[in-house]
Amino acid sequence: MRKHLDYNIINKNYIKLVINKNEILRYLGYRKNKVDDITEEIINECIEEMFEIARTNFVYNIYDIEIEEDSINFRNSSFKIKGKDIYKHLQNSEKCAIMAVTLGSEVDERIMYYSKVDLTKSVIFDACATTGIEALCDRVESIIKKHAIQDGYNTTSRYSPGYGDLSIKIQPNILNILDAQKHIGLTVTDSYILIPRKSVTALIGIGKDVKDKKVGCMDCRLNQNCLFAKEGDSCGNTKIIKG
Amino acid sequence: MGIQKLLKDNFLIFDGAMGTMLQREGLKAGELPEAYNINFPEVVYNIHRKYIEAGADIITTNTFGANRFKLKDSPYTVEGVVKAAVNIAKKAAEDKLVALDIGATGKLMQPYGTLSFNDAYDVFKEQVIAGKAAGADVILIETISDIYEARAAILAAKENSDLPVFCTLTFQENKRTLMGTDATTMVQVFEGLGVDVLGVNCSLGPKQIQPIVDEILKIAVIPVMIQPNAGLPKLIDGETIYDLTAPEFAKEVNIMAEKGVSIFGGCCGTDPNFIRTVKENLKGLKPKKIENKRLTAACSSKKTVILGESVKIIGERINPTGKKKLKEALRNNDIDYIISEAIVQKETGSDILDINLGLPEIDEKEMMRKVVIELQSLIDLPLQIDSVKADVIEEAVRIYNGKAIINSVNGKTSSMEKIFPIAKKYGACVIGLTLDEEGLPKTAEKRLKIASKIIETAKTYGIPEENIIIDCLVLTASAAQESVMETLKAIPMIKSKYNVKTVLGASNVSFGLPNRKIINATYLALALGYGLDAPITDSTSEILMDTIRSFKILANQDKECKEFIEFYSKTPKNDEKKNRIEKDLKQIIIDGMKEEAQTKTKELLENTESMEIVDSYLIPALDIVGERYEREEIFLPQLIRSAETVKGAFDVIKDKLIIDGKDKISKGRIILATVKGDIHDIGKNIVKILLENYGFEVIDLGKDVPIEDIVNTAKKEDIRLVGLSALMTTTVKAMEETIRELKKQHPDCFVMVGGAVLNKEYAEMIGAHYYGKDARESVNIAKKFFKV
Repeated sequence: MRKHLDYNIINKNYIKLVINKNEILRYLGYRKNKVDDITEEIINECIEEMFEIARTNFVYNIYDIEIEEDSINFRNSSFKIKGKDIYKHLQNSEKCAIMAVTLGSEVDERIMYYSKVDLTKSVIFDACATTGIEALCDRVESIIKKHAIQDGYNTTSRYSPGYGDLSIKIQPNILNILDAQKHIGLTVTDSYILIPRKSVTALIGIGKDVKDKKVGCMDCRLNQNCLFAKEGDSCGNTKIIKG
Repeated sequence: MGIQKLLKDNFLIFDGAMGTMLQREGLKAGELPEAYNINFPEVVYNIHRKYIEAGADIITTNTFGANRFKLKDSPYTVEGVVKAAVNIAKKAAEDKLVALDIGATGKLMQPYGTLSFNDAYDVFKEQVIAGKAAGADVILIETISDIYEARAAILAAKENSDLPVFCTLTFQENKRTLMGTDATTMVQVFEGLGVDVLGVNCSLGPKQIQPIVDEILKIAVIPVMIQPNAGLPKLIDGETIYDLTAPEFAKEVNIMAEKGVSIFGGCCGTDPNFIRTVKENLKGLKPKKIENKRLTAACSSKKTVILGESVKIIGERINPTGKKKLKEALRNNDIDYIISEAIVQKETGSDILDINLGLPEIDEKEMMRKVVIELQSLIDLPLQIDSVKADVIEEAVRIYNGKAIINSVNGKTSSMEKIFPIAKKYGACVIGLTLDEEGLPKTAEKRLKIASKIIETAKTYGIPEENIIIDCLVLTASAAQESVMETLKAIPMIKSKYNVKTVLGASNVSFGLPNRKIINATYLALALGYGLDAPITDSTSEILMDTIRSFKILANQDKECKEFIEFYSKTPKNDEKKNRIEKDLKQIIIDGMKEEAQTKTKELLENTESMEIVDSYLIPALDIVGERYEREEIFLPQLIRSAETVKGAFDVIKDKLIIDGKDKISKGRIILATVKGDIHDIGKNIVKILLENYGFEVIDLGKDVPIEDIVNTAKKEDIRLVGLSALMTTTVKAMEETIRELKKQHPDCFVMVGGAVLNKEYAEMIGAHYYGKDARESVNIAKKFFKV
């Protein structure tokens, strides 16, 4: 009998995120250096403000998948994806979770506002929000993972459009299958930019035989130019998910 | 049967969900529901029939997503889908009504997204024309969470058909839409635009929308509809399940019927059984009559300001009359300066902002359009559009995302003929000046007479009394002392006769006299005592604000003196900074102390030439900061803070140059733009401030900039260096095209590019002349280019 991974997967309520200040500093270019007092004060203000205005909306759904030679088909839907990298990522999976998360347009508004009145704060707020959306992704990923493990499965790491040969051109299809605009107000432009800006979509493979796999800098399109990678660091999207 | 007649004594019952029913018939997630109109018309027909049989008075076509964006990758046209859908519905409806369903475009509007107001309008217009031609009875605009998008849809519906328009927004549990609009604002804006029915749908269940509905019913004067979901959604193993049963749903509906909602239907998760149960449960109930007090209110997209409850301040500073700096900013297209004026007024307590950009040598209409678009996205205060040109006013209130105030009309027939049609169409409030063909009256009685004429004439255009705001106009005390009090006496006379509110720009009263401040403050206090609702004044003036704050206590508007105590018990900013060791300007910049830099620059300007301050303080300090940044002793936030500090110092210098009538500092003029399709502009903003710091003049075209705008500006302004930014691989293409067009149409021009996905090779490949790996590098490029 097929096991059901059934749980509420649309969240409109606020969930408390844990923000790591070191992550924010990393986005701002600080390595191991000490941050100056004024910057630190602004960071603290921004974190507080972000918690006040950010939403933590997410929606995900889990599909049975069929893996064919060059495409992965999602059952009960019109959705399919192609590409050798995503094939590799999902090859041992029986199911795939598709998730979309957003901090909402209030965050964009605030960044825009500060870019007019206080550019320093705008840049710092942006970095806080980037940290915030990563934290929300981690949270949603862990929810999916927890349920999967309870039901006897393992999960792969998150894989987002833009990694490897999975084009960002798939964003409209992902939003469409999740009805993400209706549920969490997430849209995509003709240039495939997600709006609100601090939003992420991702795929997570689920299967009995799934082993942890690292998704890292080599999978990233920006690898050649990345300021983090140049110094042997990473932006934080590199993750190993332990099973 | 017409809608009005239907609604007179009966509830109007809509159908329930279409999507839910189609899914039961096999529609898969991600599939296009509108394709069923073409491929399986019988499935759609049967769903309509089931709703009719369940008791629906009006059914909704299967055209929620039938817009050009959502049909882009399908073989269908908007016209084809809409026509097919309306035909199916009409066949099924028999003697019942058919509503053309129009949902959200799926794109986010500018400035958060890339969809412009006019493009959104065109998308909706296409749907409206097709639906009207196919014979729909009603236009239903629904499940929209951006009131700006709803505005475009309503205007498209009203300008391209004569059908009744129903419009609902989708709210979240915080009683706001995803884009931040509250229910009161929705009611004000929609009623202003002349929709026939307004309400709430989708997103939440009937229980959760009750508080939103209560807020609507408190002020709405037109029928209210609701189409809630069948509770809250849960996605279970690929399927969306809603948590209410039909009887539970119908019970909530009845509660709302008793409160005053008269039109019901269902959204996601509802089916014919829900509609049948709702219909049965409503038997024996009659719609409640709507009797609400009519309010005078102006709205931004997020905030409604009601006049009459307590004194509201209309900020007057954005008006070039007598303001050198603002004039200069308008001539230079410097919208950032106007924004800073708006922000300072908001922060000092203005409730509404008057926007007057009239300067003979500029394109006022274009400038007004730009300023309104910028301000409405940055500031939540309602705007008051102030112009003597009707076309400027119309452009502004059309694109304004809210309910504006028009400043102004007067008692002259010619003035009213021009302005009232605009006010009526867009639902704006209008300020009526009490002057007419005979000029400015001397007595209060004559003012009342002119006000009456304005108010009564407005009514013939269908503009309700409460949308007229009277300005009784002040004469200067030095020239017409005997008539100063006449202005004030007219206020209660007019207000007791009509349900209108009053504004007054009072600072003219003191013209030509010494110590104007105290005269203005005294007169303001008097005017408030006579019942003035909203002074048009300068909220940065302490004495005027002191007067208003104390009046609010005395008039029992500031309950328990809360605002007053809060304001005046605030400890002034700690003076610690003043006690610090005296630093020189260079060190102040390196430390990024913004305020100190301005003070210090002012001091220096007393006996130092502007250029010398730039060359021996600002630029050397910037160089030091830059070097420290490169050595990783400081980091991006500190670099930017220092840059902003220099900018502040520069502003002081610029002011001085303007006042002295000297030429501005310009080491070269550069266009900056984030290319079409891209909205990541932080990098560009950092480049801008650094270039300005080094004395370059930047024309910032913003983000998502069309190729032709960049090319045309470069040509018109004869620009030789253009900086472009793009963050995405998908938008580098637009960058490449922009460069190609620039080379073709303006070959003297050079282009520098930057952005995360670019590198030197890539930049060369797309034809750029220079690649800037970061903001500092762009300064080096500019220095080399302009040989400075």
